[in-house]
Amino acid sequence: MGRVARARSAILTMLGAAMLVAAPGAARAQELQDTLVVRALELEASGKYREAIPLFRRAMQGPDPINAVLGFERSLAEVGWQDSLFAPLDSLIARRPQEALLHTIKLRTLEAMGREGPLAEAFEAWVASTPGDPSPYREFARVLLQRGRTSAADSVIRRAQQALGSTKDLQLEVAQLRAALGLWVASAEAWRGALANAAYLDQAAVYALRPTPAPVRDSVRRTFLAPPLDPGARLALAGLEGVWGSAADGWIALKDLPADSASVAAWTEFGSRAEQEGRWLLAREAFGAALRWRRDPALALRAANAAVESGDPQGALALAPLSDAGGDSAAAAQRYVPLHARALALLGRPLVAEQLVQAYDRFFTPGARARLARQVAFGWVRTGDMMRARRALVDAGADGDSSETAGWLALYEGNLKTARLLLRKGGESTPELALALGLVARLPGDSARAVGQAFLTLARGDSARAAGLFEAAAGASPAGASLLLATAAQLRVALRDEAGAVTLWRRIVEQHGASPEAPSAELELARALRRRGEQQEAVARLEHLILTHPTSALVPQARRELELVRQSIPGSSP
Amino acid sequence: MNRFARRCAHLARAVLAVATVALAAPLSAQRLLVPMDDAQADHLKAYGVTYNAIKDGLSAEWLLNYRGGSFLLPDLPEMRRRAALAGVSVEPLTDGALSSVRSEMAGANMDAIPLEKAPRIAVYTPLEALPWDDAVTLALKYAGIDYTPVYDDEVMRGDLTKFDWVHLHHEDFTGQLNKFHIGYRDAAWFQDLVRKNQATARKHGFRSVPDLKKEVAERIRAFVENGGFLFAMCGATETLELSVAGARVDIANSFADGSPMDPDADSKMDWRRALAFKDAHLEQSPFVNSMSDIDGHQVNVPGRRQPLGTFTLFNFSAKVDPVSSMLVQSHRSVIPDFYGVTTSFTKQTLKPGDVVLATEEGAPWVKYIHGDYGKGTWTYYGGHDPEDPQHAIGSPPTDLSLHKNSPGYRLILNNVLFPAAKKKPLKT
Repeated sequence: MGRVARARSAILTMLGAAMLVAAPGAARAQELQDTLVVRALELEASGKYREAIPLFRRAMQGPDPINAVLGFERSLAEVGWQDSLFAPLDSLIARRPQEALLHTIKLRTLEAMGREGPLAEAFEAWVASTPGDPSPYREFARVLLQRGRTSAADSVIRRAQQALGSTKDLQLEVAQLRAALGLWVASAEAWRGALANAAYLDQAAVYALRPTPAPVRDSVRRTFLAPPLDPGARLALAGLEGVWGSAADGWIALKDLPADSASVAAWTEFGSRAEQEGRWLLAREAFGAALRWRRDPALALRAANAAVESGDPQGALALAPLSDAGGDSAAAAQRYVPLHARALALLGRPLVAEQLVQAYDRFFTPGARARLARQVAFGWVRTGDMMRARRALVDAGADGDSSETAGWLALYEGNLKTARLLLRKGGESTPELALALGLVARLPGDSARAVGQAFLTLARGDSARAAGLFEAAAGASPAGASLLLATAAQLRVALRDEAGAVTLWRRIVEQHGASPEAPSAELELARALRRRGEQQEAVARLEHLILTHPTSALVPQARRELELVRQSIPGSSP
Repeated sequence: MNRFARRCAHLARAVLAVATVALAAPLSAQRLLVPMDDAQADHLKAYGVTYNAIKDGLSAEWLLNYRGGSFLLPDLPEMRRRAALAGVSVEPLTDGALSSVRSEMAGANMDAIPLEKAPRIAVYTPLEALPWDDAVTLALKYAGIDYTPVYDDEVMRGDLTKFDWVHLHHEDFTGQLNKFHIGYRDAAWFQDLVRKNQATARKHGFRSVPDLKKEVAERIRAFVENGGFLFAMCGATETLELSVAGARVDIANSFADGSPMDPDADSKMDWRRALAFKDAHLEQSPFVNSMSDIDGHQVNVPGRRQPLGTFTLFNFSAKVDPVSSMLVQSHRSVIPDFYGVTTSFTKQTLKPGDVVLATEEGAPWVKYIHGDYGKGTWTYYGGHDPEDPQHAIGSPPTDLSLHKNSPGYRLILNNVLFPAAKKKPLKT
């Protein structure tokens, strides 16, 4: 073998040996780096930053230095030694010029230290090392935005526009910048652009645009609703409506979304939220939209329930027909018949409801049967046929005839004696039951037809007339007058007739000042006066309440109202 | 005004008329005790009820160390009414019961201090809203104690002479706006603040904001020297002292006045003019968010920042040292600490005559100090908001109706009432 051949052989042997050694060597280096980083992280977590720093620094020499650099940066900041970051970081940047995170760390550290000159130099060096790359502009703008330096961020974005020809790669930063500057509509426009490419940013858009002042919100809405329809923008607008307190308008943003799985998910989520908040009309619309894309019996039942709750029993019957149960009669009896019986009763078709319940009778437990009989009975009440209502309960057996529902029927007829006895059996605690129990306990005697008529009118859904009847009944039943007037006032509030309610509250306070309803009536009266801007009388009412009823549980609320009127606590704009 | 409101107004007039002659016609009990221990439902409003009683010319007493520093008020229908409206607990005391209380106080570290004249209160604060709250204005508003806001224009006009008690809070009297340029130079509120301060400086013929603030600080110093009561919190404590001691030195960085800080500023400070501190070292770097080494916690300087602990109020002799006793009346003696741009005061920078009212055991700093200066007195309380220990710029203001029994806020209100005390000569 000649000298050249021997040399070649030696090099090949060395290379081979180097390769044999290199593989385990790389693994060992990685292992060593991992060990160092873990140990350094432990020290950092226990607040021993000075001990962690040399370990992080050693780990930065390893094959994957990112975690070590981040730890190094954090620990140095904790002890105020940020100056020590730059030499090792610059070495790393020289080795890995394409690693954007390393440049970003340098920028944010220099910015935090207020080193304006070196900061500009670092940015320029990064731009020069990666021409045409939007990363330097994007990352620098982000750093500046995070520190609230909007003017400086704006300059960087303008540079990007000049250097790159557009800011399409920085739309998120542009959107955030404009929001930070209070340019809400311009920000919404930029968000539209950013969301078109990354719909997942909808929550970021909501966060940024949440402080939009009320007078500008319509312009933001128009921006997001403008054609072409963009799902990301629509989702963001729905989220914004939620945080602006106009959740109902969120549906306007969502309703026109193209029917696909993403939209169905958005509709179902919106519907669920509306369902939880008792916004039944919105829940029904959202679930209905989802159902039009894909039939789902479980969702259809929720939509039908929302329809009943929102006062559309006819729609409920169409949304969840009995046929959805298939051939499973037990399932139909358990899930569909109660809904249908209720809807039919509300529609004033108690006979059909009765027949339906009878058809599935064998599947019901006595308790379920009694509940359905009550639905049917209420159906008869709505038609004004009290005889049939009573018979429906009798037919349900002992559970029906002696039930709370029978107590209600007795009350409707003005039979206080029976009502007192049976209403106490109510298993569920509802405001209506509490009111009825309170009244029958307070009214003397065994009969009060005027009161019964008022409750019956309310049960038939005519709350405006019911309010008048409760008010009239107060004159005939002095013992329960304040409660009857308070009920009438509640109905007036529900009917958005605050002036009518104020008259009734005033009557309670002035004519029944010692009644249990007087403190709450006076508190409501004071709140209404405050809303109207009549601060002086509101204060007088609140002071009167506190001084006249010092042991009332409402006194703390009255004191808080007083503080709000007097603006002695934050957020007390009158 | 409707019939009810007219009737209420008439009733109020009648009550006031009765109140004016009420001393001649008290209720069966002679005095109302306003307990300030844990029996009190709303400690903060109790100060308002007491202050307003004095303001209306009624006599009151502060029972130092008796049930948390209780108050004694005349038992008048109007007093009971005000207490009931404010939710302040009161206990009627017959003459016999009052004698027992006085007897108990005579034999213990307690004393009764008559409160005579409600101090006229000014709070040094700009009219426009700033993105941070002011613990004193929150406390005064909540307690129902009236105050007058004053700022640079009023101080330059000489209005401080109209007041007995002046409060300073977050102001930077070095004119460097708390070095907020480090983090907020692009924030609209900061730029607006800079513009307004510069305009005020120009209006009063000053070259820069630091020059204006030095003059304002000088007038506040003179206010104390001439007999005023000064109460300061947070950054106002430290920067007022720096400004007074550095009256003839450039202690502002170039971002504030266009010229760098005098490199020898430390050695040129005249600490004889300062109220509370001596020999402090200025922070020279414009990029380090600290003013000097007066503050022990250095909250805005990573690496120097110290953790929060608790501070303990000293227990002074009520009979020998009533002023210090008044300032530390509380139903709690150990109180959680809270940050501010100046959180605490390092012991090494205190003047020998300073009275330390509260300190953190084992720490090189104190929290709450007091002293005399000329004919007046000053009290410094470190930190920003006693019920929001980490209060940050932009944080919502504290709702004191949720902190009615705050011992930290009580210390602020002690300062409002103590100028009302009829001074007793110090026996030591």
